[in-house]
Amino acid sequence: MLDVAGLRKVYEGQGHRVEAIADLTFRVGTGEFACLVGPSGCGKTTLLRCLAGLLAPTAGMVRVDGVPVAGPPPELAVVFQEYGRSLFPWLRVRENVELPLRAKGLPKARRQSIVDDALAAVGLADAGRAYPWQLSGGMQQRVAIARAVGYHPRVLLMDEPFAAVDAQTRADLEDLIRDVWRRLSVTLLFVTHDIDEAVYLGQRVIVLSAAPSTVDADLAVDLPDERDQLSTRADPRFTDLRTQVWSRIKRTTALEASP
Amino acid sequence: MIVRRTVALLGLPAVLVAAWWVASAGSTDFYRPPLARILAAFRDTWFGRRLLDDVAPSLARLAVGYTVALCAGIALGVAIGASPRLRALTEPVLEFLRAIPPPVLVPVVILVAGIGDLMKVLVIVSGCLWPVLLNTVEGVRAIDPTLADTARVYHIGGTLRLRRLVLRAASPQIVTGARQALSIGIILMVISEMFAASSGLGFTVVQFQRSFAIPEMWSGVLLLGLLGVLLSLGFRAVEARVLGWYHGLRAVARGSR
Repeated sequence: MLDVAGLRKVYEGQGHRVEAIADLTFRVGTGEFACLVGPSGCGKTTLLRCLAGLLAPTAGMVRVDGVPVAGPPPELAVVFQEYGRSLFPWLRVRENVELPLRAKGLPKARRQSIVDDALAAVGLADAGRAYPWQLSGGMQQRVAIARAVGYHPRVLLMDEPFAAVDAQTRADLEDLIRDVWRRLSVTLLFVTHDIDEAVYLGQRVIVLSAAPSTVDADLAVDLPDERDQLSTRADPRFTDLRTQVWSRIKRTTALEASP
Repeated sequence: MIVRRTVALLGLPAVLVAAWWVASAGSTDFYRPPLARILAAFRDTWFGRRLLDDVAPSLARLAVGYTVALCAGIALGVAIGASPRLRALTEPVLEFLRAIPPPVLVPVVILVAGIGDLMKVLVIVSGCLWPVLLNTVEGVRAIDPTLADTARVYHIGGTLRLRRLVLRAASPQIVTGARQALSIGIILMVISEMFAASSGLGFTVVQFQRSFAIPEMWSGVLLLGLLGVLLSLGFRAVEARVLGWYHGLRAVARGSR
């Protein structure tokens, strides 16, 4: 569903050049939930922008459903890290969720029912009339998720969406995302720097090396499909997986620091 | 709360008017008549034919000139703000044009547009356009990149993007420009009527001065001041509607810090 082949991105500035991504190749199958982790500054956001068609890669190719990405592909949605800046502050919560549906040209009655469903799915059925900035951070990110859900994408990209919320809210949102993923049967790529989060959420964890990044490891998460904040995180297999990912990342950062 | 606000709003003006009244009460100076006489002249002068003959044409020209400047300024500002190339091309010229004091254009505009309403409207436009235009350019330029990315990802384009993203995101700056333009517009309304005019507020005040109708002249100045206050109150009411979200957002941001 999501194919990345030989992706490379170099930023050319005046007199200096920064290689953010060296050479990335991986694919995420239809309906799969993959998490992407890497040390901070490893070009995760650059990668995500390339995948979303917001940034042209220097070399290589991204394909969504077999079609090469040249601009934002249809049926692809993104949930950005900065929820406060990705919601339109002059639109009410409902209108924020509705806007992409308007752009799709859906009739009003259809839009209304989709918005109702999407807000209910994220537990914000009563917040439709509020402005985003009247809500807490976690609730704002729920609005952004509702907007993505209502859009009904086949591919959903999430860029460290829970980095700025507190731990309890984060746990709730993680379970919400698992729930949304199962209900929509969407292909989901979740970028995070939090190893526990990656292992807890994904069916697969792709570990990136430090910049210029390459795929350092690609681990299947063989935990049961039903996950629970308490029992899953206490599962010896969970601990085992997170140790594996940890040591991978430790090694790449050590390699980077040594020369 | 309402009482305190009213006191805050009207307190100082009331004190000033009272001070003026008392200080000028026994005045026999021809050029500084007692306020009582000015107010009497105000009533006799403005609540009659002049309201239609002089006040209405002035306000109509202001309304037309201001509206044209607002529309043209926003349209050009959006175009220039959205295109870095256009911006680089036009910026020096815009700064030059903005630096010309509009009253100086009156003689030039008379040559081109004659001495009728068109001239007066053009003078108002030539002054009001720049603050709107330049502020709109800044507002459009400063659109949050994450919001722009969001619009791209969800394929929000064309007029939907213009109405829901560009104009709304730039609206705080556009309103700032519009506020500056309004006060410039009132000044130019008066100035344009001081040259080759036969009606209007500026014309009438100058006419009173030349015919030594001093209390009437003062009453014209008072009227202009009051019009300015009324227009700015109206502007604030519109602003509260258009920028409700912005003031709310700012209040939240201040509270969380």
